Amino acid sequence: MTAALTLDGVSKRYGDFHAVRDLSFQVEKGSICGFLGPNGAGKTSTLRMILGLQPATAGRITILGADDGRKVRDRIGFLPEERGLYKKMTPVDAIAFFGALKGLPTGEGRRRAREMLDAQGLGDAKRKKMKELSKGMSQKVQLIASVVHRPEFVILDEPFSGLDPVNQQGLEAMIRGLAADGATVLFSTHVMQHAERLCDKVVLLARGRKAFEGTVAEARATSPRFLELEGEIAPEQAAGLPGVSGVELVSEAGGVRVIKAALTAGGRGQDALKAAFLNGLDVRRFELREPSLHDAFIGLTGDNPDQDQSVKAAEAAR
Amino acid sequence: MNRTLLIARREFAAYAKTVGFWLSLLAIPLFGALGGGMVVLMKSNEPVREVVLIEEGPQSTGLAVFVRETLASESEERSAEAVEALNAAQAATGTPMQPGMAEAAKAKLSRPSIRIVDAPPDLASAAPGDAQMEVVRKYLSKETPKADRLDAVVFLTRADDGKPTARVWSASATDGAVRRFVSDALKSANRREVFAQAGIDPGVVIQTDTYDPEVETFSPQSLSGGAVTKRDMIPMLVGLASGFILWSLIITGASILLNSVMEEKSNKILEVLLSSASATEILAGKVLGVALLTLTVLVAWGGIGAIGLITAAPAWAADVGAALLDGGLIFYFFAYMVGGYLMYAVLFAAIGAFCETPRDAQTLMGPIMMVLVVPLLVMQMTLETPDSPIVRILSWVPFFTPFLMSARAPSEPPMIEIVGTMAGMFAFALLMVWIAGRAFRAGALSDVKLSWKAFAGAIGRGR
Repeated sequence: MTAALTLDGVSKRYGDFHAVRDLSFQVEKGSICGFLGPNGAGKTSTLRMILGLQPATAGRITILGADDGRKVRDRIGFLPEERGLYKKMTPVDAIAFFGALKGLPTGEGRRRAREMLDAQGLGDAKRKKMKELSKGMSQKVQLIASVVHRPEFVILDEPFSGLDPVNQQGLEAMIRGLAADGATVLFSTHVMQHAERLCDKVVLLARGRKAFEGTVAEARATSPRFLELEGEIAPEQAAGLPGVSGVELVSEAGGVRVIKAALTAGGRGQDALKAAFLNGLDVRRFELREPSLHDAFIGLTGDNPDQDQSVKAAEAAR
Repeated sequence: MNRTLLIARREFAAYAKTVGFWLSLLAIPLFGALGGGMVVLMKSNEPVREVVLIEEGPQSTGLAVFVRETLASESEERSAEAVEALNAAQAATGTPMQPGMAEAAKAKLSRPSIRIVDAPPDLASAAPGDAQMEVVRKYLSKETPKADRLDAVVFLTRADDGKPTARVWSASATDGAVRRFVSDALKSANRREVFAQAGIDPGVVIQTDTYDPEVETFSPQSLSGGAVTKRDMIPMLVGLASGFILWSLIITGASILLNSVMEEKSNKILEVLLSSASATEILAGKVLGVALLTLTVLVAWGGIGAIGLITAAPAWAADVGAALLDGGLIFYFFAYMVGGYLMYAVLFAAIGAFCETPRDAQTLMGPIMMVLVVPLLVMQMTLETPDSPIVRILSWVPFFTPFLMSARAPSEPPMIEIVGTMAGMFAFALLMVWIAGRAFRAGALSDVKLSWKAFAGAIGRGR
């Protein structure tokens, strides 16, 4: 597969603060790539560099064959993290305007806008002003505005933030639809579940550095599987079971504990359970669990993706 | 359509489609006409104060007669002024007034604000002292029927040194018209008495007081090449008006731009725009869109003004037209409008790119607005002394050039000043475009707290 996007040793510095350090990765044409990391990890800075809105302090970026995103901006669709559209415009006018900026004739833009709004269940909102729409509706309109010109490359910065679960599902379907139509999608998020469901590939970013690049399965494989045990069993007893590399007490109530026991690379869950029953340990419930992308992220970076790593957050904490 | 034009079209439509824009556009000429009309209305509706004069004691004899004569003399002067104003109006409109209408207008314009009436019998017969004061209070009180009520009672007397003095009892504690009139009349009375005591014939004093010399002004720069008339002031007035209109248009346009960019920044639209167009295209589009809006305002104001002038005063309309076209004022006006608008528009847009609320903008706008007051003050000097050193020096400051040079243009300043200041203004405008372009690029994606330091730093970095 050919790469639609290549980053090679890209860094971004704001004064003394290194937002992104020596970042390299590729996104193949027609794929969905998740760009994952906590808030402040450097995702937005990287996306702005890809778009050419900010220059890289070091390194090289190639997108759709161009060395500057600005040269191919008509072939790119972009949904920024902080969204906004002209409040007094109708959705159709707003979508047609942003489409026109990308070279789409206004008439065609309006036609597509009506079609896409209908498809997203926003037919009734076509004549309303943007300020009269709910947040979820506005976000859908903005997403439509960013892809109405049928871009080859779609960049979505935290597209799921602020959406309720129903709208999140709708957005996931839209992203799959874009990829099915041949577009390359790069989206950033700090919520790993969306990436698990959508991505062909993920790039994990922590404190401005790449922590991992590969498929979701490959990412999960970096983290151990684990056995979740519930009963009157002590952590030390769980730690002594065969194939268990470490334990973590999840909860304890009335002498009944929930323990998460990580398995070694070759460790088998059934061996550990067999030993537990043979030793007469009180195990009332057990479950063999595969690691999630969230677990993998913690395993790979030592950071929690839900924590804010931005300078502002650090300053606020101080 | 290219991106700059698309952005310009949206910018124009965003304002031009609103009712508020057209209301505020029409409001200025409307209030201008109302303002002019209000002066006449206030003048013709000024209440006529009914005043009683009482001479206190034999030493005051004659003062009341003198005050009455002064009032009559004032009324005559006012009448003459009214005739002159009516003649000027007839000359301007080119149509003579109907005799009845002219008389009515003359009566309205020359109407006195004070009428001296005879004292009511009970007041005239009241013995000086508390009883008299009681009657005075009664006639000034609101409880007295309006038909019988007085506005003021003036007691004329003399001080120990014999100088005329007065006590004015007024129905209103704040209305000073009667006091001012009586004071002026007594000053005049004192002057005549002093001259009379010095052996000068009172007739001579009256003649001297009422003498109004006829002074004619001649200038080679006048329209006739000789005698100066009021028409000769028209070009200078048009120049001054141009300066003020330019100031108003430029600041209005630049402020619209500031608010528009600020709104896009706070609504997070700028980042989306920047992913679709370059900062230069966005800035140029917005500046162009608001320029079209400003031109719309200018055309509307100009049209309303021209129609009003042609309808009401065709003779003056021709002079105003001549002042605009013959002296090249209209060319200067547009050249200074382009340069001035560019300078201020890009500066305000760059500031807007750093701001999310009007409060953010105040940090930078405060000093700029203070600077902008300077041409407003200096422009008024151009009417009489367009070549005074302060006006000439400040004309070279690019921020002031558009306004001061527009106002000075009818006085035909030296060509070196016209060319030099215009070149300086355009060079500075281009520098501003470059500086503001860099600041706009940096500010659009920045969330730093706005300050002059941050602004200067952003210009340095450029993005």
